[in-house]
Amino acid sequence: MAVKHTKKLFIKTLNKKFATEQKLLASKGIKEDNLQDTKTGYLRLGPDQNARKREFMEYAKKLEGKRGMTGYNPYVHCGGIPLGQRQLVPYKLSGTEYVVEGDDLHFVNNPAMQQMWDDIRRTIIVGLDMSHEVLQKRLGKEVTPETINNYLEILNHAMPGAAVVQEHMCETHPGLVDDCNVRVFTGDDALADEIDDQYLIDLNKLFPAEQAEAIKAAIGKTTWQAIHVPTIVVRSCDGGTTSRWSAMQLCMTFIDAYNMCAGEAAVADLAYAAKHAAVLQMSEMLPARRARGPNNPGGLSFGFMADMVQTSRTNPADPVMVSLNVVAAGSMLYDQIWLGSYMSGGVGFTQYATAAYTNDVLDDFCYYGVDYAVDKYGGFAKAPKTIDVAKELATETNAYGMEQYESFPTLLEDHFGGSQRASVLAAASGITCAIGTGHAQIGLAGWYLSMLLHKEGWGRLGFFGYDLQDQCGPTNVFSYQSDEGNPLELRGANYPNYAMNVGHQGEYAGISSAAHAGRMDAFACNPLIKATFANPALVFDFADIRGCFGKGGAREFRAAGDRALVMPAV
Amino acid sequence: MAYTPQYYPGSTSVGINRRKHMSGNLEKLRDISEADIVATMGHRAPGADYASTHPPLKEMGEPDCPIRQIVAPTPGAAAGDRVRYSQFSDSYYFGPSVPYWRSYYGSINCKGCDPGTLSGRQIIEARERDIEAYTKKIMDSEMFDPALAQMKGCTVHGHSLRLQENGTMFDMLARTEMGKDGNVYQVKDQVGIPLDKKLNLGKPMSEAEAKKRTTIFRVDGVSMHGKVGARKYDEAVEALHHMWELRSKWGYRPE
Repeated sequence: MAVKHTKKLFIKTLNKKFATEQKLLASKGIKEDNLQDTKTGYLRLGPDQNARKREFMEYAKKLEGKRGMTGYNPYVHCGGIPLGQRQLVPYKLSGTEYVVEGDDLHFVNNPAMQQMWDDIRRTIIVGLDMSHEVLQKRLGKEVTPETINNYLEILNHAMPGAAVVQEHMCETHPGLVDDCNVRVFTGDDALADEIDDQYLIDLNKLFPAEQAEAIKAAIGKTTWQAIHVPTIVVRSCDGGTTSRWSAMQLCMTFIDAYNMCAGEAAVADLAYAAKHAAVLQMSEMLPARRARGPNNPGGLSFGFMADMVQTSRTNPADPVMVSLNVVAAGSMLYDQIWLGSYMSGGVGFTQYATAAYTNDVLDDFCYYGVDYAVDKYGGFAKAPKTIDVAKELATETNAYGMEQYESFPTLLEDHFGGSQRASVLAAASGITCAIGTGHAQIGLAGWYLSMLLHKEGWGRLGFFGYDLQDQCGPTNVFSYQSDEGNPLELRGANYPNYAMNVGHQGEYAGISSAAHAGRMDAFACNPLIKATFANPALVFDFADIRGCFGKGGAREFRAAGDRALVMPAV
Repeated sequence: MAYTPQYYPGSTSVGINRRKHMSGNLEKLRDISEADIVATMGHRAPGADYASTHPPLKEMGEPDCPIRQIVAPTPGAAAGDRVRYSQFSDSYYFGPSVPYWRSYYGSINCKGCDPGTLSGRQIIEARERDIEAYTKKIMDSEMFDPALAQMKGCTVHGHSLRLQENGTMFDMLARTEMGKDGNVYQVKDQVGIPLDKKLNLGKPMSEAEAKKRTTIFRVDGVSMHGKVGARKYDEAVEALHHMWELRSKWGYRPE
């Protein structure tokens, strides 16, 4: 059962967040405010009040001579009225002790955020069974655990960009590609026992017993390679490269490991089997107007996103925490990187997204709603999967959340944009409905009801896009016509109506996750994804999304793909 | 019997005020001069000619069109004015209007206008002389309060922030200031360009007056859903539940 959350989690955070402001106000002789005052003193101290802004300005000054032209200068804003007319306050990563500046959560300044996306787009899952069948039936080769281990040793030499079979090749520096690795996983315990530990994603050790059994049952006695090509490769090219890079190295490794002829026609069969026959990209290719290949964020389904996050494995008893980590991962990837950079530009998207994973606000609203559902229906996923339940749970959770914004002006100020508030209230309502019923579509119904209630109460919602997506949204919740509806787990960033709007996609991924976390499922959509991202050799920790973002903001996270090794020292 | 639009459900002051905004049956609270309205909007100097994007319709020789025969052009359209805007930001702390109700007001009552609704601001665009007339009506009425509603063309944040110590809504560009006489003065136009002189917008509403005239539901005013443990839903919520449920069910068409 859930831990009963009776405290308003955001109060402690807001006290910490606004502590500097209160000291500043007191020093100016202004009555120290509290979290519930509706008035405050605005000191209009400008960017110099903030350590990070000062750092930016000082660094920009150093660059001036070097660049020979002007650059960063917050005093050019609005005819000389600088940023920082109100007090600039820091952000706490929800569920962690990390407190960072807002700037630290822009993905450009946060190497952990970059690495999360790099780890996704450099991943591809390739089946081994069909290649083994071709080797055995077409080429008469023997495949044993020993040959598989030998193959994996060669593959972990070749996949980072090293040569086999051919000589006089140009290879990559191992220090630049040390994050590259290939491990296998299987539902066949007997085979897993024979695989060298260093090459195995051990489902039995990494997952709770029930989850391991469920994943093994779902994948059967098949065997899969979790391939992570070097970060530096996808940073130079893009996610579409991953399948090509891995395919070539896979084929060359087979030729080497099984002493094959490099030219006979049968190799074409093996090449097809090894490269293409059983391949799972992390995301689908997008239509031409989006002009993106596979393994780019726009084609990443919410169900896959939910399965990449591993909190369901490490904290299965707390489905809210599971869902919130998925929300964090999704908000960062879909909002900050996909919509904020691939699809648009500017700096606003970070501000939108942070509301969902900072300052313990969404956490508090979700725990409130889920506690309410658990109290009323006797546990997670125990409530009937009906529209009446969605109505009850979403209305209650949304009402609670609106009341907190109304009662704590500092909380309202923390989420100073309507899109932030709309996303947080609707996510809390959706996650509550999904965990309460164990059904993502009921969660989605709760999301849309929250949007409408929010608009009704305050006479406003988010920015223009919310008019379309959220006010007409209820009609697509239960639609299963191909261009209108789908189970939420199979929808994604490029789903009609979802393709343009910040503050939604990460939360939809969270709702997808919530339904299955509530049911204590081992995975939300695809067991292969869940198993692959359990790989302990990934650079980013997919079990602790928010903690990793905090580390990145605090400059404690070491990312891969660094080129310093082959450049002169600064 | 002539049909009387109902506009909005509920018997609370918020419901009644929302109906007033939608119907256009607004109380006039002040009289700001046309010149001051024009200066605050900042599109033309008071008294200057209107810029035009086409000749007056009468000179253009319009095509034979039944719709044009039915719909009389607004004065701005007839004269060929360019399209301009006014945009307002409304405080959460009992601001008299809210963005959607500004849009409903515009859509129902302001011919030839194009409203746009966001969370911190609401814009209405129309031919220049038309939007000036609409803006004057709005600023003279109970839809406006110099402390809790401001005309802000850009840099609008403030609607959700705590109020300043003098009770006015925060404005990064400080387009208004509180005078020693208790009146609020407009000192910059809606995009923050300083005005030649301060324009008197009048005194702010008292807190009680703002609560009486507001169109926002709040737990410390008129609540839409009661409180935790004592839920009591406004008729607006019941109507909304009905609409949401029908929309959701309509989408499920397994045929």
